[in-house]
Amino acid sequence: MNGQYASLLIALPLLGAFFVPLIKGFGKKAIKTYVLIITAIQTGIAAWVFQQVYSTGKPIIVMAGAWKPPVGINLYIGYFAALFVLIVAVASFLMAVFNFKAVDVEPIDKYAMLFLLLMLGATGMIATGDIFNLFVFMEITAITAYALTAYNKTGEAAEASLKYMILGGIGSSFFLIGVALIYGATGTLNMAQIAQLVGHINPTVAQVGLALIVFGLAVEAELFPLNAWAPDAYQAAPHPVTTMFSAFVVKAGLYAMARLLYLMSSVGTWHNVLKLLVVMATLTVVVAEFSALRQRNVKRMIAYSSISQVGLIALAFALGTQAGVDAGVFQMVNHAIVKVLLFLGVGYVAIQLGGAEIENFRGLGKKMPVTAFGITVGAFAAVGIPLFNIFWSKLRIILATLQAGYTWAAFLVLGASVVEAVYYFRLIHTIWFEGEGERISESAPLVAIVIALVILVIAIGIYPNYLWSISQKAGSDIFNVAQYVKNVPLMPLTGVGA
Amino acid sequence: MVSVLKRGLAIITLLIIGYWLAQGLAGVPFGQDKMLVGQYYLDHVKQQTGAVNAVTAIVVNYRGFDTLGEVTVLFIASTGVAALLWGKRRKRTAKTEGSIVLTTGTRLLAPFVMLFGAYIFIHGHLTPGGGFPGGATIATAFLLMYMAFTVYEIPHRAFEKTEGLVGMGYVIVGLIGLAIGGYFLFDWIWQTWGWGHNNIGRLFSGGFIPVIYTIIGIKVGTELSGIIDNMLKEEVSE
Repeated sequence: MNGQYASLLIALPLLGAFFVPLIKGFGKKAIKTYVLIITAIQTGIAAWVFQQVYSTGKPIIVMAGAWKPPVGINLYIGYFAALFVLIVAVASFLMAVFNFKAVDVEPIDKYAMLFLLLMLGATGMIATGDIFNLFVFMEITAITAYALTAYNKTGEAAEASLKYMILGGIGSSFFLIGVALIYGATGTLNMAQIAQLVGHINPTVAQVGLALIVFGLAVEAELFPLNAWAPDAYQAAPHPVTTMFSAFVVKAGLYAMARLLYLMSSVGTWHNVLKLLVVMATLTVVVAEFSALRQRNVKRMIAYSSISQVGLIALAFALGTQAGVDAGVFQMVNHAIVKVLLFLGVGYVAIQLGGAEIENFRGLGKKMPVTAFGITVGAFAAVGIPLFNIFWSKLRIILATLQAGYTWAAFLVLGASVVEAVYYFRLIHTIWFEGEGERISESAPLVAIVIALVILVIAIGIYPNYLWSISQKAGSDIFNVAQYVKNVPLMPLTGVGA
Repeated sequence: MVSVLKRGLAIITLLIIGYWLAQGLAGVPFGQDKMLVGQYYLDHVKQQTGAVNAVTAIVVNYRGFDTLGEVTVLFIASTGVAALLWGKRRKRTAKTEGSIVLTTGTRLLAPFVMLFGAYIFIHGHLTPGGGFPGGATIATAFLLMYMAFTVYEIPHRAFEKTEGLVGMGYVIVGLIGLAIGGYFLFDWIWQTWGWGHNNIGRLFSGGFIPVIYTIIGIKVGTELSGIIDNMLKEEVSE
């Protein structure tokens, strides 16, 4: 089949979202089923793309409108994008199943549209090969995220969304100024061509542009001084949406940051930006872990834990070495799996028992044993205990950090992991060794998802090599810029600036 | 005291950021010929897209993917507003009717505003403008009606359905391109059918640009009107 059909990854969720108003009258159940079907088809297409890219070893270049880059916009679906587009689709599909239980607030048709467009935005951010197109998809992701954060229409949700919106708005404007600077200096918006030309431009311009872009993306990627919106938004958003934020929205921001960072690695002042990022990432880990320690609301606690793990990924990407990038990608995949498991479990408990306060988790092992087991496995994995998947990625990240010479960062991050263990074990203790309760029947599809994810976590924990080799390929996709440029069929232009 | 300190710190920080940005801007060679992709667009726009207006050709044809995204952003904005302001019974609660001069003036003016809006988006490939300004102009006509009449409401059901249908229309035009030319958003009307090749600069030219701009115009018009409608209504107790 023609590789251009990969553009269906963008076209299908759009078509799906625009179709929703026409089936609005058929009731809640029909709309939720419809979303389930669309996400299932999306997963199918993503699986096909994944299989294509990994079996041929060649990236799929989608050229919109048949215009060769840099004249037109191209999507670049290489190892990394193929892997993450699949993760986005699968996570959305699982959350579409969860929607049946979790979302009952009206208007459900609007929710369905926003849900599909959030998936679209993240897919586009990961797949695009054009820097302005990246901005457009980032806006799609961000604006759907603002609306979905406030979707529950409580005062708390409105406050969280407002905070997110103001920070996100400022972040996007900075990003746009950065794009304008880089366009002004190079005369092109295509990422591959920027990578070619960036060595020749004024280093001050490149540094300012890159710093502005990193700053703008840091809001989406939840790095330290700019992540104040995240815990509130995670707590207030509908449960499936929280899961999507943690599983892929933040990853899309991180990836975009890493991609642009490495594209501009020939800039003379590049290492200053890297150092800044290492500091921000380490602070993210430390601050988030200590904030999680004193939370009473389990959803908020896991939100902080998610932020700290994201900081770890950012640290890995900021090292500037091949080993670091590979480890970062590995952690991204593992973190997506574990956080889907944890947020799904906690969200389900919150629905059944009316809230995610820690009191509700007393005796959960007796009330909802399968969900409690899922949360426990997720917690073990998140702490990084051997035989669970995150152990391997944390180990790789720490090793890469030591190799790159940032001993203090590795030390601080390890220390923060001890703090993480404290609050996760406290949660596990509350679940299994406190309180009494009657058995509550658990919904079959959700139990199936929880068990499947638990098996995945343990399978990767025992046999990490397969996923590690995939992550290495995906990591080289980001790190090896020369290969990236070679893969994009740039049209030779005889402009003045060339 | 505190506020003075705060303000002082803010001003100092802003000055530092401003200086830093100015340093960056100073390195960008403004006023020099730095066109790389831009020159290509100017040289090839007529022959490759059939549009006389280079901006619309870039926006809809060369970089049509971005425009599809921007249309989606607007769609999200209107959906988001509708989702957040949703209530079981919402009504207009405006109390003062406009003066007779205002209402009569609006009655006379609204059709002209709509006509002009339609003119803007239909002539997107020839004159400055296009789908977004045209759609915004049409929404202005509805805003006028809302402001002048206390009871006026747009037909929601029809508007919502139109919004969805034209959105699908845009994607479907793109998918037809994928089917005919092998690329998503491929301009099949111009490149495969060769329709309008000897007509450059006239109304029936420009490949699929007028088609897409009509779609965008209708979509933007209905969406902005929908946002106005949602914002002007208040919840009333049953």
